[in-house]
Amino acid sequence: MALLEVENMVTNFFTDQGKVQAVRNVSFHVDQGEALGIVGESGSGKSQTMYTLIGLLADNGEVASGKFTFDGEDITPSSFKSRRAYEEKMRKIRGNTMAMIFQDPMTFLNPVLKVGNQLIEPIMNHRNVSRAEAREQALKLMTQVGIPSPEKRIEQYPFEFSGGMRQRIVIAIALANSPKLIIADEPTTALDVTIQAQVLELIDELKKNSNSAIIMITHDLGVVAKLCDRLAIMYGGKIVETGTDQEIFYDPKHPYTKGLLECIANPEDDDDRELHPIPGSPPDLLNPPKGCPFVDRCAKAMRVCKDYEPEVTTFSETHQCACWLHDERAVGK
Amino acid sequence: MSEKPILSVRNLKTYFDVTKGIFTKKQIVKAVDDVSFDVMPHTTFGLVGESGCGKTTLGRTIVKIYDPVEGSITFEGTDIAQLKGKELKQYRKDVQMIFQDPYASLNPRMTVGEIIKEPMIIHGIYNTDQEREDRVVELLKTVGLKPDHIRRYPAEFSGGQRQRIGIARALAVDPKFIVCDEPISALDVSIQAQVVNLLEQIQHDLGLSYLFIAHDLSMVKHISDTIGVMYLGHMVESGPANDIYHRPLHPYTAALLSAIPIPDPNVAKAKGRIVLEGEIPSPINPPAGCPFSTRCPKATERCKSERPQPIQVGTRLVACHLYEK
Repeated sequence: MALLEVENMVTNFFTDQGKVQAVRNVSFHVDQGEALGIVGESGSGKSQTMYTLIGLLADNGEVASGKFTFDGEDITPSSFKSRRAYEEKMRKIRGNTMAMIFQDPMTFLNPVLKVGNQLIEPIMNHRNVSRAEAREQALKLMTQVGIPSPEKRIEQYPFEFSGGMRQRIVIAIALANSPKLIIADEPTTALDVTIQAQVLELIDELKKNSNSAIIMITHDLGVVAKLCDRLAIMYGGKIVETGTDQEIFYDPKHPYTKGLLECIANPEDDDDRELHPIPGSPPDLLNPPKGCPFVDRCAKAMRVCKDYEPEVTTFSETHQCACWLHDERAVGK
Repeated sequence: MSEKPILSVRNLKTYFDVTKGIFTKKQIVKAVDDVSFDVMPHTTFGLVGESGCGKTTLGRTIVKIYDPVEGSITFEGTDIAQLKGKELKQYRKDVQMIFQDPYASLNPRMTVGEIIKEPMIIHGIYNTDQEREDRVVELLKTVGLKPDHIRRYPAEFSGGQRQRIGIARALAVDPKFIVCDEPISALDVSIQAQVVNLLEQIQHDLGLSYLFIAHDLSMVKHISDTIGVMYLGHMVESGPANDIYHRPLHPYTAALLSAIPIPDPNVAKAKGRIVLEGEIPSPINPPAGCPFSTRCPKATERCKSERPQPIQVGTRLVACHLYEK
């Protein structure tokens, strides 16, 4: 059975301008020990999918529908008797069996608490250990994520750490209770290239040495190419294509996936091939298109794409794509 | 390469005084320290490096936002430090800049038309407002916007479109040289390629030269003819883009290149990375010898005490003791 199963997630935000449909009917699963990459541009709904899942939506957000199962338990907000019961359950899960790594370590860490306290807190919250034992554990974690002289560093404040070191602390906090699932939201976007390489290397090592599953949310196809086993491509609040790394990179089916792969420069390419940008800009989710979200930018759009949502076509057990081009009825095969 | 460079930078130093209080020791940040390079006409010089390496300061010194402490910048044969009055105004017209953040670099209270017209008014390029208006419409078309966008405000545009407005503003005074300071890093992947293609198209049509500053090495390689790699205020290596990417000489360049995530799973998973230890030292207190010596896997005792000078190796300039005879 899958470790995490998300079915038909719909999340809306109520703003002054109206209802923003940020996540529109998203389903996916993650297996034990697997690394899933969720790739999309800003506003595609990739981060909000995760915030919905972990119960950290902003106050104006609403989970309109969906069923989420994690580690054999139902964690759908609507399945709980009260909001309070749900919050309580999620507090037991977050930082324990399900951990998060956020994009900006400086906003994640509390600036007025020593990093030691921030590492010890999640351990003591979820485990029945003394403070001294938790501190021992914290030192071990700091060594594990490659922070030199942990004995000294544990007494320091976040501002005394560099960006890369702060992100290591955030990762150490995520690992504190050996989670079954780690959700990493753009963990390296705020870092410099050489520091990004260090952090990616660390995540790669963790993946190999632990049985934790990872969900990596990113806009960078280069990052997922190295780390992920399976990918989900999001666009306009929907998953438009999922598949293994091989299927997505070497046999993309959705025009958006193809477009995304063609508009990035690959430094390994010898001839400076021309970049093929995707014209236009992403849809406004205040008023999303009725049919396929990509219809306005798609070179192969047909009449049906405008009016009807494409259904999912299955290419293999792992490879699915929502596009009319692959639907027998639309192309008249 | 018998052509003369359009821009020639020699031993440029831009320092900032960051001393706090009056009785403390003087503290100087050497943001750009002894940098030299040439930009040939109609080509793109790509400047790469991590945050804090001085690449933006270098760009800003070239457009005379900052004054250098030492060294010279020669534009079309004239030293720009000597420019005064009319000549200086001409230089400010010839050299334009495109900024990183398309949200911060456009005045939210001006319409697109007013934004693009302003440099024309300052430099007195057209006599009547109608002429200016016609030129704005023409420019909007050039950068892929619609003529009726002229009366709208920046807030009504997306990031990519705003960057196009910034490009139109830079083009308004018919510049010869544009400093592009990370023009694509704030944009989404699918939009980045649009802007890069637009910049290449404009360069081709108008014969411009660019200084393209970025930290995204894949894009820099794509757009640049020549590349300079900066580390802690120093240019550690410069030369033709393809040569640098295929056979990096300086250990920092090699590490930087190997750190790029490759969007190809088979290559990425097979490829070993040179993972650098440690972090960039503080520019207030840089290492005595080679700036990279604290992180360099090949550093020797000499690297720690003696600063390497740039030397010619084939098509390139490299500042590293490894290549000295």
